[in-house]
Amino acid sequence: MDFLNALVAFANFVFVPGLAYGAQLAIGALGVTMIYGILRFSNFAHGDTMAFGTAMTIIATNMLLAVGITFGPLPTALLALPVGIGMTILLVLAIDWLIYKFYRDQKAKPVILVIVSMGVMFVMNGVVRFIIGVDDIRFADGERFIITAREFRDMTGLREGLAIKTTQAITVVVAVIAVALLFWFLNKTRTGKSMRAFSDNEDLALLSGINPDWVVKVTWMIVAALATTAGVLYGLDKSFKAFTYFQLLLPIFAAAIVGGLGNPLGAIAGGFVIAFSEVTITYAWKKVLVYLMPESLEPDGLVQLLSTDYKFAVSFAILIIVLLFKPTGLFKGQSV
Amino acid sequence: MSDSPYHDDRGNKDRSITREPGSTLDKVDRRSGNSTAKHGDPFLIGDAMTGGYGKGPDILHSCTIAAEKGEIAVIVGPNGAGKSTAMKAVFGMLNVNDGAVRLDGEDITHLSPQQRVVKGMGFVPQTSNIFTSMTVEENLEMGAFIRRDDFRDTMAQVYDLFPILKEKRNQAAGELSGGQRQQVAVGRALMTKPKVLMLDEPTAGVSPIVMDELFDRIIEVARTGIPILMVEQNARQALEIADKAYVLVQGRNAHTGTGKQLLADPEVRRSFLGG
Repeated sequence: MDFLNALVAFANFVFVPGLAYGAQLAIGALGVTMIYGILRFSNFAHGDTMAFGTAMTIIATNMLLAVGITFGPLPTALLALPVGIGMTILLVLAIDWLIYKFYRDQKAKPVILVIVSMGVMFVMNGVVRFIIGVDDIRFADGERFIITAREFRDMTGLREGLAIKTTQAITVVVAVIAVALLFWFLNKTRTGKSMRAFSDNEDLALLSGINPDWVVKVTWMIVAALATTAGVLYGLDKSFKAFTYFQLLLPIFAAAIVGGLGNPLGAIAGGFVIAFSEVTITYAWKKVLVYLMPESLEPDGLVQLLSTDYKFAVSFAILIIVLLFKPTGLFKGQSV
Repeated sequence: MSDSPYHDDRGNKDRSITREPGSTLDKVDRRSGNSTAKHGDPFLIGDAMTGGYGKGPDILHSCTIAAEKGEIAVIVGPNGAGKSTAMKAVFGMLNVNDGAVRLDGEDITHLSPQQRVVKGMGFVPQTSNIFTSMTVEENLEMGAFIRRDDFRDTMAQVYDLFPILKEKRNQAAGELSGGQRQQVAVGRALMTKPKVLMLDEPTAGVSPIVMDELFDRIIEVARTGIPILMVEQNARQALEIADKAYVLVQGRNAHTGTGKQLLADPEVRRSFLGG
């Protein structure tokens, strides 16, 4: 019984939140890794692309709610998501045409494009705050829980409860669909294969007659869709705040690099590695340990390795360890 | 190129192979030669080409390379003679300041490499000539990218030519051996049904046994009627299979003749066949 209680507490506080957070990071990291693989630079504006997409989705959600449309038990934001994706696609295509294209035509070095993307990041940072403000915004509606802690306790008779939020379940389901679609696209379609070829060997891809402009366009569209989806899922699960999304850049980059930049499978694995490291290191393990250890050994403190305020330190540490010892990441990616 | 502020850091991959962003591809159609054909011109000829990389000094000096239908033409020469440069000039990867390149009688001197691919030139670079992370079959599919028609029969022909590729068609091309990779590279170039095939040192870095096999395959490709222009480091073997051979020295035509003639030429033997 104690063991079961420990397991439920673990699931409730570590596994389920970690899984949802990991899925959000994974979708975010997929966007970063695709830009790196195909456009060959680290896109620092990715966090703010997510913020922009989410802001657009929030506005569309509010409009839907204003005319009285809801999605029943599911968050209305899911209905508004396509609008947000569409707006973000328009924005990134405009930015590419206005800014990145110039540097591509100059055949600028990747490091220059990275700095350019930082400029874009700051501009988008401001634009998003201008549009939606700097405050915390909660936009999840519909049912809050699939199962609450109390229901779970009543059902099982255990002392610990397991709560599963609707948004957590939606995150995982949407992530699975998005990843499945992406892999189908990359592995089965003509355009998808040409994107992989372009990422693998640009010169040879050009020799084979692959149109680089089209590849770049499709890449931006996919990245915009992924970024908006990741941003909306994160915002539904927690809340939307422009600054938080800017900070998300670090765990997302850590995830992409841990998995191996340019490798989509790696981005997914990296997302979960980072998420679970963050959650396990910042969780107070006392609750779980009390169930598992004999009374005499029960811990006095919280057994929390790091305060949640320092959660970004975890991404940083993992990032540096990976870059020091395995710069190509867990899966074979390009080295940074 | 080095005077651009966008290039002055450590070496990175650039797109030096394309003279211009390749978006112009769709505007080129695949017509055969027009009326500018000179009478008695070879099928593919780089005529009196002079040029070099970027704004650098000229490497080629009035160098002429040609390939006839159904023939194997080979460019040989000592290190630094401009063999690969001559081939790259024919393929449009560097500026030809003087002279012309004609394919099937049509002047293609000012086309970009991609446009030349559309015109029917197949090119196998010396290095990075396959998509390592993609399967053998996907490599071939990418080779046929410009074709909108059904290319399964071409793929079957490639598999007939290189049976080992059929066996390994679902394996990542990067996992294959050096000789097999070269077969993938040649197969990829054949997928467009090129009118002429150009190979840049196809046997570089493979063992002598594999080299012999590759040469056999190349002869087979030539027998299907596709003219082949190739640069070779292994001069003796290359001359043995060559219908036409060019010896370049310092970017100039030094000797020209059939492979047998050059093999018998005492001066060619002495200067770089080792007696």
